[in-house]
Amino acid sequence: MAKPAVEEEIFSAIPMRTWRWLGVNEVRVPEQVGAKLQQTKLSVAENQEDTVVYVNRKGGAQEVAVDVAAGARMHLVNVQLAPTDEAYTSRVTARVGKGGAFSYTVVEAGASHTASELTVNLDGDESKADVWGLYFGDGARKIDLNYIIRQRGRKTDANMQVRGALLGQSEKIFRGTLDFLEGTSGSVGRENEEVMMLSDHARNRSVPIMLSHEDDVDGHHAVSVGRMDENKLFYLMNRGLDLAEAQRLVVKASFNPVLDRIPDDALKEEIQAFLKGRLKN
Amino acid sequence: MSEKLLEIKDLHAGVEDKEILKGLSLSIGKGEVHVILGPNGSGKSTLMNVIMGHPKYQVTGGTMLFEGEDMTPLKTYDRARKGLFLSFQTPEEIPGITLENMIRTSMQAVTGKKSKILPFRKQLRATMEELKMKPEYADRYLNVGFSGGEKKRAEILQLLMLNPKLALLDETDSGLDVDAVKIVSEGVAKFHNENNSCVIITHNARILDKLKVDYVHVLMNGEIVEEGGPELVDEISRRGFTHIQSEQEK
Amino acid sequence: MAEKKKTYVEDIERTLYDIRNEDHSIYKTEQGLSEEVVLDISKRKHDPDWMRDFRLKSLEIYNKLPMPSWGPDLSDLHMDEITAYVQPDAKMTGNWKDVPTDIKDTFDRLGIPEAEKKSLAGVGAQYDSEIVYHSLQKNMADKGVIYTDMETAIREHEDIVKEYFMTLVPPKDHKFAALHGAVWSGGSFVYVPEGVQVDIPLQSYFRLNAAGAGQFEHTLIIVEPGASLHFIEGCSAPKYNVTNLHAGCVELFVKEGARLRYSTIENWSRNMMNLNTKRALVEKDGIMEWVSGSFGSHVSCLYPCTILHGEGSRCEFTGVTFASSGQDLDTGASVIHAAPHTSANINTRTISKAGGKATYRSAVKVTKNAPYAKCSVNCESLMLDNASRSDTLPTMDIEGDEADIGHEAKIGRISDEAFYYLTSRGIEENEARAMIVRGFVEPIAKELPLEYAVEMNNLVNIELDGTMG
Repeated sequence: MAKPAVEEEIFSAIPMRTWRWLGVNEVRVPEQVGAKLQQTKLSVAENQEDTVVYVNRKGGAQEVAVDVAAGARMHLVNVQLAPTDEAYTSRVTARVGKGGAFSYTVVEAGASHTASELTVNLDGDESKADVWGLYFGDGARKIDLNYIIRQRGRKTDANMQVRGALLGQSEKIFRGTLDFLEGTSGSVGRENEEVMMLSDHARNRSVPIMLSHEDDVDGHHAVSVGRMDENKLFYLMNRGLDLAEAQRLVVKASFNPVLDRIPDDALKEEIQAFLKGRLKN
Repeated sequence: MSEKLLEIKDLHAGVEDKEILKGLSLSIGKGEVHVILGPNGSGKSTLMNVIMGHPKYQVTGGTMLFEGEDMTPLKTYDRARKGLFLSFQTPEEIPGITLENMIRTSMQAVTGKKSKILPFRKQLRATMEELKMKPEYADRYLNVGFSGGEKKRAEILQLLMLNPKLALLDETDSGLDVDAVKIVSEGVAKFHNENNSCVIITHNARILDKLKVDYVHVLMNGEIVEEGGPELVDEISRRGFTHIQSEQEK
Repeated sequence: MAEKKKTYVEDIERTLYDIRNEDHSIYKTEQGLSEEVVLDISKRKHDPDWMRDFRLKSLEIYNKLPMPSWGPDLSDLHMDEITAYVQPDAKMTGNWKDVPTDIKDTFDRLGIPEAEKKSLAGVGAQYDSEIVYHSLQKNMADKGVIYTDMETAIREHEDIVKEYFMTLVPPKDHKFAALHGAVWSGGSFVYVPEGVQVDIPLQSYFRLNAAGAGQFEHTLIIVEPGASLHFIEGCSAPKYNVTNLHAGCVELFVKEGARLRYSTIENWSRNMMNLNTKRALVEKDGIMEWVSGSFGSHVSCLYPCTILHGEGSRCEFTGVTFASSGQDLDTGASVIHAAPHTSANINTRTISKAGGKATYRSAVKVTKNAPYAKCSVNCESLMLDNASRSDTLPTMDIEGDEADIGHEAKIGRISDEAFYYLTSRGIEENEARAMIVRGFVEPIAKELPLEYAVEMNNLVNIELDGTMG
């Protein structure tokens, strides 16, 4: 396994660089990340199925390496609810064999500064990745994300869906890459990010990247950034909700497709309560 | 029996390793109208696409003769030039190519002659009017942003303009309201005469109102399991396919 | 399963562009870049002192700045082998008869004098480092429109040039902007006075004939309040087996309520490094429209930038890039929303084939000062074989909660179903593919000036299909 992340100044980089003035080429290691590194290896044997849930209620550094064998299925749920004065990093790497499927549900809701990297290698033919992410920024939080799906096998299927809301003076960078390598014929990839900007002082950067060495692919990405749908808010306020309540409901509705994938109801409620409390302030 | 137009014998075809048509035989004479009925997944659309030469499907056995000529080696465009036409169940949207440009290019391809722009436009406008299509659709990109009904009308428009010998209509009436089915059905009736033939896949007897159906075939699981006259349409619409299925299993 | 078909598109028919003339230049600077070279250019061009100093300062900046840390590989570019200034044996004239025969023949083949008669209000023609021909219809000149070469502009309108020159693209912007500041030569100056509508386009054509040379033309356009202009820029060069360099600079000032359309068809030969910088500053309610076709060059870095500086200003960017064998075309656009209620639309198509590499790169920035900014981006990439590459790398940087930004991108090949549909109508296979490719670029082609649209359609001629045989 690679050296612990905390020893590097640059935590993660996008696969193809762009203008420096945009400041999105690299994910930096947050200051004050404790030296405590938790490393885990997960694997699912051929044709087996497994679900693993991580809840990180403290700052620090996490590294998870996942191996999904042929025909196997793994659902990894990674929830980060660290205290707002602690920094946090996460690095998840998954390799998926022939006909295997890797599902990833990630919630980045806490910590003062989050740096998170996800790399999925769809090595096997007909392998699948289904990534659903949620981030939430408030106060002066920094969220720095770099998710990459590499499609190597034939007829692979990648799906990356990310939802987020930014409040306060929070800043977030999301880089999402679909990388179609040569030979990944018959593959499809979809990437979608929806960002709700809920504060005049928040800053959002989105970098949806699509790289292709193969013509026989179908790749699609979309990003929408902006304020809440006024019609939706108006509708809800007509039903007696005040603006803040209506906004909370719209945010919740947008997060639900991610939260609904969490198999543990108690955890789901904990996250919802956590977000609700933060939205109220 | 009238002169043979299309003669299919013991046809086996499928996708990749999966056989969908399992020894199907069908004979279409000149001037005839054939209806093919069958439950979803029975191979109806596959049959149409195999006749038209869709590269996705492989023919693994049997013969297909069109006017006595073996069609199997012919590419799709050659089949169209010989006089075959398929009205698609879900017509493709092709951005950047206008409906008019598309039809004019095909007419020139099929007839091998340059068509003069003015007579062509006149014929196109008149045919569109018969199908109650707004003239501006001629300048729109092929099927892009067309409703289901408009797409199907655009197919019938092409049928009337190209005037093939054999029209294959794959659920041309599906997803249409009553008025649209009527327009489409009138369009097909206008096309049909003693010199050309139709093979119609449908779930809806209404499209047949204006046509004299000669033969009805029931396709199940890649084979023709029952054949008869127009009365079979009524029987199936009354009783469904299950009784045939159960008879098959006896 | 049968192998999927691959599509091959024949190379762009380049014969027309590839006819080289003998090098009859009367003066060339030494290869490479030094203070002596810069002073030599400055002296030969009779620069005023401020311009000479500007050049020297730019050279200083150039020497300090690093090469870009991103984008295409520029290792084929050896500045010490580039001749920065090549003076053709021709004086600037307003009469084609006075242009030397070989140069005039070149522009004849490119159809410039013909287009001038039919559809243009004025023409500028640059050959290597200098403009050799410039004209403007009298009625436009009578309305106060100025259209001339940059050197004349400095002589005759020094105050205007001094006020604007390289203020929008300062030399410190990047290494090649600094290079441009040091050795720029030629290019067009356009000034449209307040309220004047130039309803027929002006066109400048840049032709680089000398092997191993650099072309560094500067285009400065000022469209005063309420005025409008359509400017067309064309470029080409014959092919050599040494590297040529193009590092032009375009600065566009669109004032309040003004409108500028800037159309470019770039068809450099495949030994050209095209590192061009284009930028527009748009004031209140102004409209900037870019139409950009990139077909030629070995390497291109081209991302016209629009700064929406005034409230309610707008930008439309329409671009097509076609990368073939031996080409690495890195193109796109950037838009900076710096005022309230600004809006932008970016719409691009890229095609890559035969080992070509096409990259779409963009930046959309919404500053805190730009509430109610709206931007929509749509980019589609078509790959014609798997020897080629197609990358999409957009960045959005949004501050505040009142923006509305949407981005959409697609990558893929010619749809099998669309191909089948067309062939089922009797259309032969190669023609069916050509129709689909033409349809793909149609939304862009219809924005091009007619003769260029026809030319672009001719470029998309499908030759044969491979592996089925």
